[in-house]
Amino acid sequence: MLINLAKRDFLVRYKQAFAGVMWALIKPMLSILVFGYISSKINNTGNTALNFVNVASAMLLWQLFSNVFNDVSNSIINNANLFSKVYFPKIIIPISTLLVCLTDFLISLTILIALFVIAGQTIHWHIILAPLFIILTMVNGLGMGLYFATINVKYRDVKFIVPVILQFGMYVTPVIFSTRYYLERMPEWLHWLFCLNPMVGAIDGFKYALFGGEAIYNVNYFIVSICVTFLFLFIGSRYFYKFERSFVDYI
Amino acid sequence: MSNNVVIKVEGLSKHYLLNKSAKQKSDTLYGNFIDGVKNIKNITKKREKQDFWALKDVSFEIEKGDRVGIIGRNGAGKSTLLKILSRITPPTKGRIEITGNVASLLEVGTGFHGDLSGRENIYLNGSILGMTKAEIDAKFDAIVDFSEVEAFIDTPVKRYSSGMYVKLAFAIAAHMDPDILILDEVLAVGDAAFQKKCIDKINDLSSSSGRTILFVSHSFSSIRSICNKGLYFDSGKLMDVGPIDTVITKYQRFVKETVAQNINVNVKPLSSTGEWDVGTDLSVEVSWERGRFAPGWHCDLAFYTFDGVKILALQSQMFSEFSSYGEYNAAEFIIQNVGFASSDLRMDVGIRKDIDTPYEIVVENCATVSPSQKSLPLYKRQDVIIVPKATCKAIKI
Repeated sequence: MLINLAKRDFLVRYKQAFAGVMWALIKPMLSILVFGYISSKINNTGNTALNFVNVASAMLLWQLFSNVFNDVSNSIINNANLFSKVYFPKIIIPISTLLVCLTDFLISLTILIALFVIAGQTIHWHIILAPLFIILTMVNGLGMGLYFATINVKYRDVKFIVPVILQFGMYVTPVIFSTRYYLERMPEWLHWLFCLNPMVGAIDGFKYALFGGEAIYNVNYFIVSICVTFLFLFIGSRYFYKFERSFVDYI
Repeated sequence: MSNNVVIKVEGLSKHYLLNKSAKQKSDTLYGNFIDGVKNIKNITKKREKQDFWALKDVSFEIEKGDRVGIIGRNGAGKSTLLKILSRITPPTKGRIEITGNVASLLEVGTGFHGDLSGRENIYLNGSILGMTKAEIDAKFDAIVDFSEVEAFIDTPVKRYSSGMYVKLAFAIAAHMDPDILILDEVLAVGDAAFQKKCIDKINDLSSSSGRTILFVSHSFSSIRSICNKGLYFDSGKLMDVGPIDTVITKYQRFVKETVAQNINVNVKPLSSTGEWDVGTDLSVEVSWERGRFAPGWHCDLAFYTFDGVKILALQSQMFSEFSSYGEYNAAEFIIQNVGFASSDLRMDVGIRKDIDTPYEIVVENCATVSPSQKSLPLYKRQDVIIVPKATCKAIKI
């Protein structure tokens, strides 16, 4: 059933669209172009292609997070008609949403591979760590998404709040600029706050897996960020399971 | 508790909180504005809630192989009960024990997506109803065959007619393999031939493998043809449990008594057998308080099949013997059974001042009459119009 639901959502998403699945590529490509350009202007690095690869890797991961977070938080109310008529474990709905987002992400990875080839970037052995950070990103989106999905059942305000969080979130996450860029321009006491953002760990880790070197600015901050991820997952799923049974009465 | 009991319900209650209806709205713009401002102030306060018990202290047992018809008026708690039994919503109080796996069909085509083809929807819907891919594969041909939409199986279902949509949806549900099957008013769709096919399928399921069936419907004829046991609900309370015929009779008597707005309707066949056989008369007596209606008022009857098709309307002024009420307080209709091909007819009574004014009083569904299906005349054509032989006169009771 999980697979069938995910298949439905994926098939339906691009039905009757002329470009079809190509949209899974076009959407991230446009933001990479825009933000990659901005970033290379500001960073003023010599190697524009390399800069683009950097932005692309962070941007794709961020978009995975933002899709999971947004879609999961709306998944329960969007499928209200389903579980007001049939009984099944409700967690299936957010998980199938997660799978759809992952499929989109895997398709958009081709952009990153293409950019790697263009920039002539070599691959590290670290790359085997990359899937870990992709999973970490999804855990992130799922944990926060479950929490907001539960609130969404009673208060539809969530639909409007989540995009706002995501919009601001991107600017306090090392998407366009590196963690180093942010932290060097911040007072010391703000560093911890910055690293409480769970996506900092995931994106820095992913960059480390792809490029190696200095992507991880400070291992302590990195670990804090990862701990926050699992804390969110814990809170989110606890909250979800606590109210799961009464969803139908409020929807 | 005997070993045969598959569903045991004890003291089941379901409670909802309703928002209290808004206060009388102001009819000026300024008043509305003031109300709005007051509401903003109140928004942080807890809104007043109203208690509502959808089910109150319901207990019953159902044995393996029982085919249970659940009847009652709208809002009596039937659907809430089915939702609780299929674990969709938790009960507020009480205990349920269920042995065996349950499949519930509270709506046809749950999870159908208009953009997907019939084939894709069979797999999707099947898995939502709890079938595995292998099971669906094995039953795929049977499902398509039953649904009669083979030619369109690769067309998106949004292009289906509503009849085709429902047929496909029911075909999937009919091929589930549960111990207990819960059906909520799902047969009210599709044409008569398909309905019969569905009823046969359900009967087949229960007789061949001893499946337990719970079935909600407002159609007594389909309940009678499927069920052996009945549960009758009214405002959340279980009023009667027992053999289906006695439960239906009790329900009909109850409906007659409460809905009638002080209009009494008395229906009795005038034949020696007590049935309304072909060729015999039925007496319908509509009576009211003396002096309630002035002379010249009209009393009309309308008969519907359970699909809602009006098949017969009788108006008191159609009959020359009929003059006016006034000192009379009843109208007696005598209707001959010229061969109604429907076994259950729902009757409405309407009373109005004049032939072209709206009805002042309408008593809907005040009785169910059952024309006997024995020795029906054979019609050569399906669209034959039955002209009733009927009379009406004003009487004193």
